[in-house]
Amino acid sequence: MSDAGAEGLTIDAASLPRTMFGYRGLTWWATAGFMLIEGTTLAVLLVCYVYLRRSFTEWPPAPVPLPDLLVPSINLAVLLVTILPMAFARRAAHALDLRGVRLFLSIAVLLSVVAVVLRGFEFDALNVRWDQYAYGSVAWILVGMHATLLVVDLVESAVITTMMFRRDVEQKHYTDVEESALYQFFLSLTWVPVYAMVYLGPRVF
Amino acid sequence: MSTTDVLRGPGEDALAAERRELTATWSGRGGFVGWMASVDHKSIAKRYIVTALAFFALGGAGALTMRLQLARPDNGLLGPDLYNQMFTMHGTTMMFLFAVPIMEAIGLYFVPLMVGTRNVAYPRLNALGYWTYLIGGLFLWGSFFAGSGPDTGWFSYAPLSETLFSPGKRVDIWAQTVTFTEIAALIAAVEIIVTVFKLRAPGMTLNRIPLFVWSMLVTAFMVLFAMSTVATASVMLALDRLVDTHFFRPATGGDALLWQHLFWFFGHPEVYIIFLPATGMVSTVLPAFTRRPVFGYTILVFALLITGFLSFALWVHHMLATGIPHHGSSFYTTASVMIALPSGIQVFCWIATIWTGRPVFRTPLLFVLGFLVLFVLGGLTGVMVAAIPFDLQVHDTYFVVAHFHYVLIGGAVFPLFAAIYYWYPKVTGRMLSERLGRWNFWLLFAGFNLTFFPMHILGLMGMPRRVYTYREALEWGDLNLLATAGALVLALGVALFVLNVVMSLGSGERAADNPWDADTLEWSTASPPPPYNFHPLPGVDGRSPAWSRPEELPRVTGLATGSREMLVTTALDARPDSCNEPPGPTIWPFVTALAVGVTFIGSVFTPWGFVVGMLLLLPPLVAWGWPRGKREETGTSPEAA
Repeated sequence: MSDAGAEGLTIDAASLPRTMFGYRGLTWWATAGFMLIEGTTLAVLLVCYVYLRRSFTEWPPAPVPLPDLLVPSINLAVLLVTILPMAFARRAAHALDLRGVRLFLSIAVLLSVVAVVLRGFEFDALNVRWDQYAYGSVAWILVGMHATLLVVDLVESAVITTMMFRRDVEQKHYTDVEESALYQFFLSLTWVPVYAMVYLGPRVF
Repeated sequence: MSTTDVLRGPGEDALAAERRELTATWSGRGGFVGWMASVDHKSIAKRYIVTALAFFALGGAGALTMRLQLARPDNGLLGPDLYNQMFTMHGTTMMFLFAVPIMEAIGLYFVPLMVGTRNVAYPRLNALGYWTYLIGGLFLWGSFFAGSGPDTGWFSYAPLSETLFSPGKRVDIWAQTVTFTEIAALIAAVEIIVTVFKLRAPGMTLNRIPLFVWSMLVTAFMVLFAMSTVATASVMLALDRLVDTHFFRPATGGDALLWQHLFWFFGHPEVYIIFLPATGMVSTVLPAFTRRPVFGYTILVFALLITGFLSFALWVHHMLATGIPHHGSSFYTTASVMIALPSGIQVFCWIATIWTGRPVFRTPLLFVLGFLVLFVLGGLTGVMVAAIPFDLQVHDTYFVVAHFHYVLIGGAVFPLFAAIYYWYPKVTGRMLSERLGRWNFWLLFAGFNLTFFPMHILGLMGMPRRVYTYREALEWGDLNLLATAGALVLALGVALFVLNVVMSLGSGERAADNPWDADTLEWSTASPPPPYNFHPLPGVDGRSPAWSRPEELPRVTGLATGSREMLVTTALDARPDSCNEPPGPTIWPFVTALAVGVTFIGSVFTPWGFVVGMLLLLPPLVAWGWPRGKREETGTSPEAA
């Protein structure tokens, strides 16, 4: 198969695999594309945060208090821990291990529910309203944008999990599990700089 | 009409039977719902192209109205408010609803054909992109006809675009239109990137990818970064207006210049997002009409890549008059002059191709020659305005209007016309009239120069942009009258084009599979292509597969004919790697687009629009991806295995 085309003859596709994991399949590329788009969006918002900071002598501007750290830090931990069951679910998907996929995916979805609920409280932890100074606006949009992605991901993971509990699971659905895991990694990891900027940033600069 | 039999199969009868089965497999369902549910890249791209051309006509009509208003001093045809709406609608339509969509649409039609595959990578997503774009465009123009057209210019600078200075819903409508169309643009970009990387014909290594496909690939990557930025910015503007955030409000710590940075970080690459596909069209059309491969393939590819990178380092040259630091200005001036280099290299490669070839002066080549002249003129004024002292003199005058119309119409619309004359036979199976085509070209060329050349002089005389009228004593009347006369000639040229396209559809000369004897893969299938594009799937062994002897080309067998299957190849070397079963027709992308519409149109009026829209989005998205039970699947159930 490998040097097909060199001979100018016939390439037989019948024997090729019908499902592919990772970058050899198509789903991975779609996820990568959307990660690029959403990563750009978050990066642009982080730049806006720094840009708007320059217009203020105090950050947060008085009398706005510093954001709380407790809930956001717990949620950071939850998001990072979610990587583990997702990584196991991904490994199980590669092995076409349905029971493993069901178990770890369910754990990951439960953790995502916790993350979404905690995210709701994180807006309180900001200690500022979105319409109080540009400071409040940019903090809210960063947390809010990531929250929107979290909710979308939760719905998607929940749907995929439900699909994996049906009787006739097809091989191609295992690639959806992998894609879901990939996206979860992205969300957990992009939260690190956003968390640092929004909750630690005001303490540093 | 049978295919060219370029790729001769086992036996003619067997091949014909397979093609019949493939036609049944890859055809959409009939009827109106079937039409709405289509996921064929050719059908969707055709809708995209027709819609974008309709918006081109609307935007052009707006421009013509403005020209009539400016034809003489103190004219009263349009009042200041309607004039403001007119230039905003014109710019917004041409950039967001015409130029980018039509380039991507032509990419969505021809990239799969030129890389030798059966559809784009994600057919349903592709349909969602089109419907989202359509709803966004109809929303903008519907609002205009309802008396609520945006009026703050196509870049809607803050603080003018904030509620304090622009109450009402006009700017919200603009901001949401931008978000709509950028979602569509982003979807098309992902489609093109993955189709190019994963669905190329076996043997189509990176250095054999057709130049148009290269240009679309580079463009698609630029779209990912640029459109994400402007969509973020338009959401921020909408939030400022809807829920009182302060991003662009200086009084409460926001920054109006932040808007300009975000907008131009998109806005400058935007110019190249429009221009690069056009260069790809030129590099594609030239070999067919000069009877030789394009000169300097590798250099042209590098020029595309360098332009793509550099275009993100220039945005501040739109802001040289805003008082940014000096060393910053020098950097952006240097970058702006530097980008002339890859463009210049491309121009020299094309001239060398024509010089050393045997030119056949058909309509597509005429448009390419027109492009070369106009683009060089636009490029030269571009180098002029990159110099800060000169820029400060002509900033916001008609000189700039002249400059960017030379670049955009000369640099992109002329190649687009060349491409339409070139590819129309492939899409419709009919030739466009050559006689009307020549009239079309000369009227456009003369009309264009009559309209826009005088604007250089008007700009140097000090005429500012966006004024709805001027006093007689300023002595701008004669040149403005000339420009308006030119615009009428230009409009006549476009009218002839429409006439040609419509008449040829029914009565044009029948097109052969490869009427121009061109060299890329799309010409090796029937005109118009069958629903499955190729059978057997072709492999390639060089850059000009359609110029190779048919029996020398590799071909792919073993793909299912009774179900949809596409060949997936490796990203760099295009070696066969797996088979993919793309999803079939469905109405859910359309329903999803409606929910997207509710989200964005609703949130013009209330923040709850966003919440309701997101909830409405859930059911169609789940239904879209939900498996439809067991079919003739090739995948096995691991539980059973």
